[in-house]
Amino acid sequence: MDVFAALGGGFGVALQPGNLFLAFIGCIVGTAIGVLPGIGPLNAIALLLPFCLALRLPPESALILLTAVYYGSGYGGRITAILLNMPGEPSAVLTTLDGHPLAKQGRGSAALAISGIGSFVGATLSVVAMTFLSVPLARVAVAFSPADYVALIAFALSLLGAVSDGPAVKAWAAGAFGLLLAMVGVDSGTGVERYTLGSLELLGGIDFTVLAIGLFAIGEILLLVETRLRAEAAKLGGGEPLRLREVVFCLPAMLRATGIGFVIGVLPGAGASVASALSYTAEKRLNENNGKFGQGDLRGVAAPETADNAAQIGNLVPMLSLGIPGSGTTAVLLGALLMYNITPGPLLFQQRPDVAWGLIASMYIGNAMLLVLNLPLVGLFARLLTVPSWVLYPGVLALSFAGVYAASNSAFDLLLAVFFGVVGWLFRKMEIPLVPIVLGFVLGRMLEDNLRRSMSLSDGEISALFESPVSIALWILTAAAILYPLVRKRA
Amino acid sequence: MMADRWLGAGFIALGAWAFWVAWGLQVPFAADPLGPTPFPATVALVVGLCGLGMLVRPVHGFPRMERAWTPPLMVVAMVGYALLMVPLGFMPATALMATAVALLFRARPISAGLVGIITAVSLWLLFDKLLDLPLPKGILPL
Repeated sequence: MDVFAALGGGFGVALQPGNLFLAFIGCIVGTAIGVLPGIGPLNAIALLLPFCLALRLPPESALILLTAVYYGSGYGGRITAILLNMPGEPSAVLTTLDGHPLAKQGRGSAALAISGIGSFVGATLSVVAMTFLSVPLARVAVAFSPADYVALIAFALSLLGAVSDGPAVKAWAAGAFGLLLAMVGVDSGTGVERYTLGSLELLGGIDFTVLAIGLFAIGEILLLVETRLRAEAAKLGGGEPLRLREVVFCLPAMLRATGIGFVIGVLPGAGASVASALSYTAEKRLNENNGKFGQGDLRGVAAPETADNAAQIGNLVPMLSLGIPGSGTTAVLLGALLMYNITPGPLLFQQRPDVAWGLIASMYIGNAMLLVLNLPLVGLFARLLTVPSWVLYPGVLALSFAGVYAASNSAFDLLLAVFFGVVGWLFRKMEIPLVPIVLGFVLGRMLEDNLRRSMSLSDGEISALFESPVSIALWILTAAAILYPLVRKRA
Repeated sequence: MMADRWLGAGFIALGAWAFWVAWGLQVPFAADPLGPTPFPATVALVVGLCGLGMLVRPVHGFPRMERAWTPPLMVVAMVGYALLMVPLGFMPATALMATAVALLFRARPISAGLVGIITAVSLWLLFDKLLDLPLPKGILPL
């Protein structure tokens, strides 16, 4: 199929008034979420997912909304970073280094403008790359056998340990915990009950929205209630506005950051935080003699923000083309699609082009909306930072519970969400990463299904898992990803 | 250091239990050569091994909490909310829960009450009236 024809069809979906409206809402919510520390795109998508289900939005519309929240949040994180010296998102840490000094020098609005433009450049160029890359990548993946998929998922899970900041065993334990949670309920192959503890409510398995809201919304608020935070915001407004000359000056940095960000994003495991850190360091090294990095260099704001958004879009590529999410938020997006009985992966582009191309087309539109929203309205979003926590968090909590209830009509699910909230809080205190839990949960069923399918094909011969060249290569990579952190620790 | 050992022990216990459950599964008929046992049993082994790793090489203690009494109280408020939502109705239960949580976030009592009521009413309007998603009415004559 011709890419341009397919993209045209996608615009047909994305330009429907309802979908345009949803993309717009998603952009606003995403930016707002990005601004607020403590609520990230993951929590927001977990919060919105039950709405999509309860309102019976068609899958392409739900995906357009949720994905807009996802990339919209990449525009919001910088506002908090620049004005408060506190990253609104983990990937905005690097933006504080030059952004906050600029704000203190009275150039806050210039820093916000250049980072907004950077976000737009990074995201849009990455969507272009995604447009041309997705189908070829999917075509490669179509040839994957169930055994190849087993190896691919095992590789994705083993990478969790290699890329996590903390001890690898904690990341793997979390991933395996997610796999166990995915098995709760009636086994589809044999009708046997697994890990239901005799509970009727658990027969159908754990609802993805309950897990995500518990871990990420409730758990986060439990963590926030016991800490004291809130810093003084730097003044916005006044100061010398951004000049065209300065945008041109930052452009090469933005283009380099787009390349770094997109490639890092497409690779499994590594995410936006790695990309923004890498591109900031690269710019700093390249301009050792003519920069004032760390004291307020505009390129020091433009580069990490561009890379951040480019990586976010890059992360979507393996999710859509292979069905393997590369980050926590894309895992939640994948979970959302699975709730609609749509399996992302190689066949998505053939069977549901409306979903795949509608989403890609909507990302062109959404990023343009975000640029328009973010340049003039940045002050409005910044004002969100003055909402006191005692107004914000009770509301977010009530919204989470209402969403869970509206989607399932079950008080049991509310209790389960509280349970996962406590688990999420406890794990975070103990430095067990939560993202692997979600990844394990969404990949668990896929992993077991493919394993059993390949065993059926081979009549139970285990060696079938290691036959094709693709699977052998992936298993070698898996072994390396497991051994690397174990060896690194000793060194 | 101690906390990581407890955590390791917890994961070992979880892995052992999961392995024991998986091993005891009875299949009425053989649908596929693998059956429901090997996959969860393997995952349970991984959980146990990771637990062992934490037990042997602990790196973290439990971080000191600044306001240690708040999370348990908030859990009580949320569990109460989950149990009361259907019998009391969405609006009264939400007002109570949101007030309690606002207090835990250091609101003054009057502001907390206002936050509770406004949160409850606005969410009710959003869900029930605007989005047409029914929530439990409970004791209020609506």
